[in-house]
Amino acid sequence: MRPLAEALRSRGVVVCVGPGGVGKTTLAAALALQGAALGRNSLVCTIDPARRLASALGLAELGNLARPISAAELRAADIRLAAPVEAMMLDMKQSWDELIARSAPPQQRDRILANRFYQSLSSALAGSQEYIALEKLWELHASGKHQLVVLDTPPTAHARDFLDAPARVIDFLGTDTAKWLLKPALRGAKLGFRLVGLGGNLISRTLSGIVGGQTLADLAAFLLAMSSLNDEFQERARAVSALLASEETVVVLVTGPAAERREEAVRFHQSLLEQHLNVAAVVVNQVHAGVGPEEAAASTRLPEPLRGKLERTISEANSLAQADAHGVRVLREAVAPTPLLTVPRFPGEVHDLGALWRAGAYLVADATPRETLAAAAAAPGA
Amino acid sequence: MTQLPRPRLLVITGKGGVGKSTVSAALALALARTGQRTLLCEVNSGGGATALLGYPRAGPELSRLDGELWSVDVRPAEAMREYVLSKIRFQRVYRTVFENPLVRAFLRFIPSLAETVMLGKVCWHLRETDGPRKRWDAVVLDAPATGHALTFLGVPQVLLDTLPPGTMAEEASWMRDMLVDPKVTGALVVALPEELPVLESMELAAGLRARHLALLAVVLNQATAPRFLPEEVKALAALPRLQALARGHAEEAERTQDAASRLGTLGAPVLELPRLYQGTMDQAAVAGLGATLLAGLEGRT
Ligand SMILES: Nc1ncnc2c1ncn2[C@@H]1O[C@H](COP(=O)(O)OP(=O)(O)OP(=O)(O)O)[C@@H](O)[C@H]1O
Ligand SMILES: Nc1ncnc2c1ncn2[C@@H]1O[C@H](COP(=O)(O)OP(=O)(O)OP(=O)(O)O)[C@@H](O)[C@H]1O
Ligand SMILES: [Mg+2]
Ligand SMILES: [Mg+2]
Repeated sequence: MRPLAEALRSRGVVVCVGPGGVGKTTLAAALALQGAALGRNSLVCTIDPARRLASALGLAELGNLARPISAAELRAADIRLAAPVEAMMLDMKQSWDELIARSAPPQQRDRILANRFYQSLSSALAGSQEYIALEKLWELHASGKHQLVVLDTPPTAHARDFLDAPARVIDFLGTDTAKWLLKPALRGAKLGFRLVGLGGNLISRTLSGIVGGQTLADLAAFLLAMSSLNDEFQERARAVSALLASEETVVVLVTGPAAERREEAVRFHQSLLEQHLNVAAVVVNQVHAGVGPEEAAASTRLPEPLRGKLERTISEANSLAQADAHGVRVLREAVAPTPLLTVPRFPGEVHDLGALWRAGAYLVADATPRETLAAAAAAPGA
Repeated sequence: MTQLPRPRLLVITGKGGVGKSTVSAALALALARTGQRTLLCEVNSGGGATALLGYPRAGPELSRLDGELWSVDVRPAEAMREYVLSKIRFQRVYRTVFENPLVRAFLRFIPSLAETVMLGKVCWHLRETDGPRKRWDAVVLDAPATGHALTFLGVPQVLLDTLPPGTMAEEASWMRDMLVDPKVTGALVVALPEELPVLESMELAAGLRARHLALLAVVLNQATAPRFLPEEVKALAALPRLQALARGHAEEAERTQDAASRLGTLGAPVLELPRLYQGTMDQAAVAGLGATLLAGLEGRT
């Protein structure tokens, strides 16, 4: 079974999720290349790509603008695609600004954009980055310009942060927060947001004592303005959730073989299934390669001290490979029957098109069966 | 036990994933083993550093791990609670106000509030006494990663710059004074022998300096000592896989040397910690790293 090749051929949306630093952005780009190789007009939407990866994709700056990956560069890397491929870098701030501009009544729009709490929205509101990425995904998918959209996501330790993002944003902007704040603050608003509006109850009084009255008044003003976002906003958030759960979409869970990552990934996988998402595969990235016994045997014919040095190096490489192979085994048992794929750790980093292409080849390969785990630890195509 | 002439608060920071928790755990263990009462202090990280030593993950309550070694994971909600209760003294008011989910959602929007109360708790531990002496000989802080760490450590100054005189400003003032006093606080920046992490460490060190924190040392983690001579690598031409292995190792060693010399320009000692080759870290491995670190810090290398 080649689970990801299948998904790239038949689905419209592939979402790469997983914990921090495991290779989500890299593999999202690699998947889009493979999608194009399979003949689908593809787009990868990246989030915070490493500088060198961004430049390999031909992305000099943020800006929500999809640009084709240079044909000349692809040719130079000896990559032959059957369809065009584009890349973009998601600009969180700009995306939020656009969303507000589209959804807020004109008289509230500037009030929101200028409020200092709006600036901390993305760090303060859990799920807001995930939400805006999904929002963008919906827009890209709905525009119909690409047959395949591969979405990278921000690092999320818990699947819930990601899956619940639309619901949380709706809740937050929904009536409860607003009502609670508005009771005292509405009066204040009429008086020009003076402190007096917040002085009414125990909660406001206590909070003022701790964080200061002005802060509280400003925050109330912000939430008041946000609660004016119209129904389209909620409508969209629902559409985003629906797209995520639909047959069009598959999720790829990227992780690493180390013990800390593994536990996180198993929990993550569980939540994805509980939410009835289509998990196409779990990808264990950066699996260390070992040195096979035949290759190792060659070192015994060498003179000292070279022989001893090599033996030490081989044993180090093999202990890393063994630990990783064990990790992969444990993970595979834990996520079964979801197929599991492994991508070896490449020497250096993966930040040019050639390396992306080689990494992608592992993604469209057969799922790793039990018996060939040793092979997964074999040398990456040098 | 005679006190070493070193600051009591050791702040460990660096890029994400470079080994901050490993270094923190190693250093705390090494200090405790020399008989100093040591607090391994994590900041809302889920207690991972403590787990590296083979103990259950640290929680928000102080817990004694072994001998002189203690740990805690400072969490925003609990730190907030302690702080607020120290101000308002009414459990019932606290519960009504701060345990209201709307209030919680709302408080998240106040920039730096969580950082302030968490850093406040760390500083408060430094001031704790046990009879005539300070309670802690050392507090090892497993600080957040780069950008976050600078925000975190810069919070008192920001508050001083923005708040009118009052309770919060007074708190900020004594916290700031502790952080900028080199007799009280010293930072260790953890780096890896790779281009970007080295660059980021140098920026981080500059950022710490701008906040008037003393840089005690740079820890170059996952260091590879030279092993293969260039002619040995060449001699392996007939055995491509082995040659690739030897070349890979030689390149690692070169990157390590490169990183060490660039980090050396920061004006603090560069302490190398060897890359270990074992599946999962155990206490013995971490203890070994800790002994190396402590020797380096005390200039016994
Ligand atoms: N198979 C691999 N072999 C070697 N290096 C890799 C591999 N996959 C990814 N990398 C490198 O690992 C680093 C992190 O990758 P990447 O940025 O894709 O991770 P991420 O999961 O998107 O991180 P974040 O959670 O911070 O967004 C990059 O430097 C990348 O080049
Ligand atoms: N000297 C070393 N040799 C081998 N592995 C190491 C070494 N130091 C750290 N590691 C491994 O590197 C990984 C990251 O280490 P650690 O968790 O300490 O980093 P961190 O900086 O605290 O990460 P985070 O930013 O996620 O908190 C762990 O798997 C750890 O076991
Ligand atoms: Mg990324
Ligand atoms: Mg850590």
